[in-house]
Amino acid sequence: MSEIIAQDALRACVSEWLAAGKCVAGPRQVSWNRVLYSYLKKPEELLLDSEARPVNSIKEFFFPKHEKLYGYKIEGNDVRLTETAEALPEQVILGGRPCDAAALPILDHVFNWDYKDSQYNARRAAATIVTIACATHDDACFCTSVGLAPTAESGSDALLVPFGDGSYEVRCLTEKGKALFAGKTEQSDKTAPAHAGPEKKIDAAKVEAFARDHFEDPFWKEHALACLGCGVCAYNCPTCHCFDIVDEGNAAGGERARNWDSCQFSLFTQHASGHNPRASQFNRQRQRVYHKFRIYPEKFGETLCTGCGACTRNCPAGLGILGIATEISHG
Amino acid sequence: MDNIYQPDLMEVVETQQQTSDVKLVKLRFRDPDRAKQFSFRVGQFGIFSAFGYGESTFNICSSSNWKDHIEFCFRRVGRVTEGLWRLEPGDTMGFRGPYGNGYPMEEWRGKDLIFLGGGIAMPPIRCAVWKALENRQEFGNISVVYGARTTGDLVFKDELDEWARRERTRIVQCVDPGGETPDWKGEVGFVPSVFERAKIAAGANSIVLVIGPPIMIKVTMKLLTAMGVPAGNVYTSLENRMKCGVGKCGRCNAGPAYVCKDGPVFSIEQLNAIPLDY
Amino acid sequence: MSENAAFEPKIIAFVCNWCTYLGADLAGTSRLEYPANVRIVRLPCTGRIDFNLLIKAFEMKADAVLVSGCHPGDCHYTSGNYHARRRWMLFRELLDLLGFDMRRIHFSWISGAEGHKFQQVITGITEETRNLGPYKLYEGKPAAYPKFPETVLPLGDFSTEKELRQTARKLLSEGTVQVVIGYGERGPIFVSKAEDADKLVWNRNCLTNLTAYLKRKEIKTLGKAAIVVKGCDERALMVLEQESQIERENLHVIGMACEGLGLPKCAGCTVRQPRFADEVIGEAKPAEQIDHYAALDVLMAMPPEERMGFWAEQFDRCQRCYACRQVCPMCYCEQCIVDKNLPQEISPSATREGNFAWQIARAFHQAGRCVGCGECSRVCPAGIDLWALNLTLERAAEKNFEYKAGMEPAATSLIGSYSAKDEEAFIQ
Repeated sequence: MSEIIAQDALRACVSEWLAAGKCVAGPRQVSWNRVLYSYLKKPEELLLDSEARPVNSIKEFFFPKHEKLYGYKIEGNDVRLTETAEALPEQVILGGRPCDAAALPILDHVFNWDYKDSQYNARRAAATIVTIACATHDDACFCTSVGLAPTAESGSDALLVPFGDGSYEVRCLTEKGKALFAGKTEQSDKTAPAHAGPEKKIDAAKVEAFARDHFEDPFWKEHALACLGCGVCAYNCPTCHCFDIVDEGNAAGGERARNWDSCQFSLFTQHASGHNPRASQFNRQRQRVYHKFRIYPEKFGETLCTGCGACTRNCPAGLGILGIATEISHG
Repeated sequence: MDNIYQPDLMEVVETQQQTSDVKLVKLRFRDPDRAKQFSFRVGQFGIFSAFGYGESTFNICSSSNWKDHIEFCFRRVGRVTEGLWRLEPGDTMGFRGPYGNGYPMEEWRGKDLIFLGGGIAMPPIRCAVWKALENRQEFGNISVVYGARTTGDLVFKDELDEWARRERTRIVQCVDPGGETPDWKGEVGFVPSVFERAKIAAGANSIVLVIGPPIMIKVTMKLLTAMGVPAGNVYTSLENRMKCGVGKCGRCNAGPAYVCKDGPVFSIEQLNAIPLDY
Repeated sequence: MSENAAFEPKIIAFVCNWCTYLGADLAGTSRLEYPANVRIVRLPCTGRIDFNLLIKAFEMKADAVLVSGCHPGDCHYTSGNYHARRRWMLFRELLDLLGFDMRRIHFSWISGAEGHKFQQVITGITEETRNLGPYKLYEGKPAAYPKFPETVLPLGDFSTEKELRQTARKLLSEGTVQVVIGYGERGPIFVSKAEDADKLVWNRNCLTNLTAYLKRKEIKTLGKAAIVVKGCDERALMVLEQESQIERENLHVIGMACEGLGLPKCAGCTVRQPRFADEVIGEAKPAEQIDHYAALDVLMAMPPEERMGFWAEQFDRCQRCYACRQVCPMCYCEQCIVDKNLPQEISPSATREGNFAWQIARAFHQAGRCVGCGECSRVCPAGIDLWALNLTLERAAEKNFEYKAGMEPAATSLIGSYSAKDEEAFIQ
């Protein structure tokens, strides 16, 4: 016995959630050639059944590109700190892929490493993740190489597996998922087919070993020549989480906030003395692979990559983790 | 909500200008309860902020025995340090910490301590020297070789003179060739060569804390190895650009080690396993 | 109306020290009353008034801004005000495109002897602004995504790949160059060995403007380079040379004749056949001409509040990844203005205000320099119509000065030069 939902019924759910004051985010066509995960104002905005893959990831609903940490008011010699008092609304993240959802439990490790990031955790607690399993994949996908699959359940509260006719099998995986879909689904004896996904393309263990043992290899230099040092890969990656902290305001006060940052920017590791341990783009490219395949597994037991292919798909210069990891795995 | 990024509000007690661009700041917690329960280990660092300018990372350069305030020392080089430079006694600033691992001074008991450093590397050495002097009987001979580019760049000059008067404590000050003034009474040369010339006894029973750029550590380690000091007895405090201090912002790692969590204090034995990423 | 009666506008006036400031002073000593709403910011010369100071003033809740200086011909520094005038001519077009309320942005020439004029101008602006009400910066009306004119997207046949590879092989084996910067299967490649010449491709995926790599220090160390350029990319080389960023004699330029990549920028292309390359491969038939600026007319037909709403929605998506900057050959500053924090002129935060400030700065730094390669738009992960910002300034350059970047080797910089005959109607 399975639970199924038709597309219309799913959109009706979105209406209900919006009317109840929840924030609902999903794939939305933002311009003629761009789909992004963003907050929806109307259920019709939700893009389903599209080959077009959102460029960004769902991490921004938990780790926003700009987030106020606290405010400060300056009164003579004194400073008063003001907490971000806004209560977080409940949010439903609908239409992420399994590679997006799986990133969240991976990120939970670092955001709770000894010190618990309360803002991130609050957003996690206030969200229900409804993932749509993949019926297709493209050349940039490699989730199956990092222990995931088109129907992987990690990180999701409910998984919708498409039948191909516009309806979905609804697999509620947690209490949150069950609560969200209670009474919204119909019983059925059909189960949705599982798409096989891409064949294995990279060997994560080999990449880890190479990063560890060949830190100074000329390979890194040859590979990184085309990298222009922008932030597209890091910013659209579901697992990249580096950030900067800035003060912004005037003489009366302001706020201290965190902004996304990327290890590919030349100033990322610049010391005040002028020394930069990663002064060349190839050191910086190496760092990205190193962080994902060597540091994170050593510290937290998981690769900091879900094989979503966003970096590969969107890199202005045609680079990305898939290409470099493939070369290391096979050469 | 317990916000790990929210600083303690501190009152600036005193600022002392050490050189043309280096200041020492003494600060205390505005919240007396927090002041009572706060403690740290020498070698740990904090994230100090001037509201409106930003946050920056500095070693807590006071001894952990001093209970009523903490100190940090900085060079004025950019936006945040410009903001810190403008602080006057009575002003409020921010402090987050203590972060990092601190010096394993319990393991250094009974050993001779040798401190080598230059310029703005003195503050993280200074706290350890004071701590050792305050617990004098726990340690053997104490030697410091401290150098700067010019005589005007030496920090904690009064304290260096004070240390030299303490028992079994030898202080060697030096300046780079060309940095001496006509009345300079100390050595001339770079710290590793001055250390060699000074014929300070070192061996398996020595602990060395050397703070400086990778090249200085490399050269010094060569000398120390020849003197029979094992790499596990030599320590350094690494510096990398930091922002969060709590292992999340992803920028301070040197190879697999997060300087804010696994460091900043590393033995050279540990450092040898870390690639040149700092 | 009662809201406006209580409202006192905040006017920021950026004035030059030698003329307008003295004019203001004269108004004061002559006891000519003018509204206290104005806050005067004194700079040495209008030539020194950075365009983003106007934006800063609005960010700090100014309801109107005045920029004022010496009359043309009277500048204390000879030509500062001429440079300012040209800058303002172009900047206004960008602000207008973005949907700024142009009634709140004023320019004037007020000399040190014109105390009366200063009084009149300030009083007039204050009165006008009081009636307009407070300025809600970056708040626009939401608008439907406009329908841009459809054009045929030309696509060439790319049959000269073999010839390109032969050329590269020859250049490398004869040692004429040490590296060929060209296109590979997935993106830009840097071929240093003659036997790797077959890795070069020439097809509809050859999108990148490879001239952006010439500024990268990692590429400079590879030695004397040959670079594969399409006509659009070649224009960038010309600007780089004019701005002393490359030594043309040290670069071997392989021009590829191109009849289109199937992108919007290819419609009506006038540079299908590279003209200044060391060698050209292929021949391209000229393209059918179109009105390049027709798409801008669609945007300018929207009322300003809707234009502002359009851009606000777009810029809200900006992640500050700076892909637009990194792929642009003209963005070669060793330290970008947005990365400077003493002072922090442009907020690094991805907020509406920060993103507007960044996009304005980036676009305006291209005034008279952008060659229309379209890379910024293509690579933007958020799908922002960056081409419209650059195209507006291109149109302003062509309409006002008959200037097109990177077309004439002998041309001088647009924003670096001036003419006594530059148009003035917008200046009081």
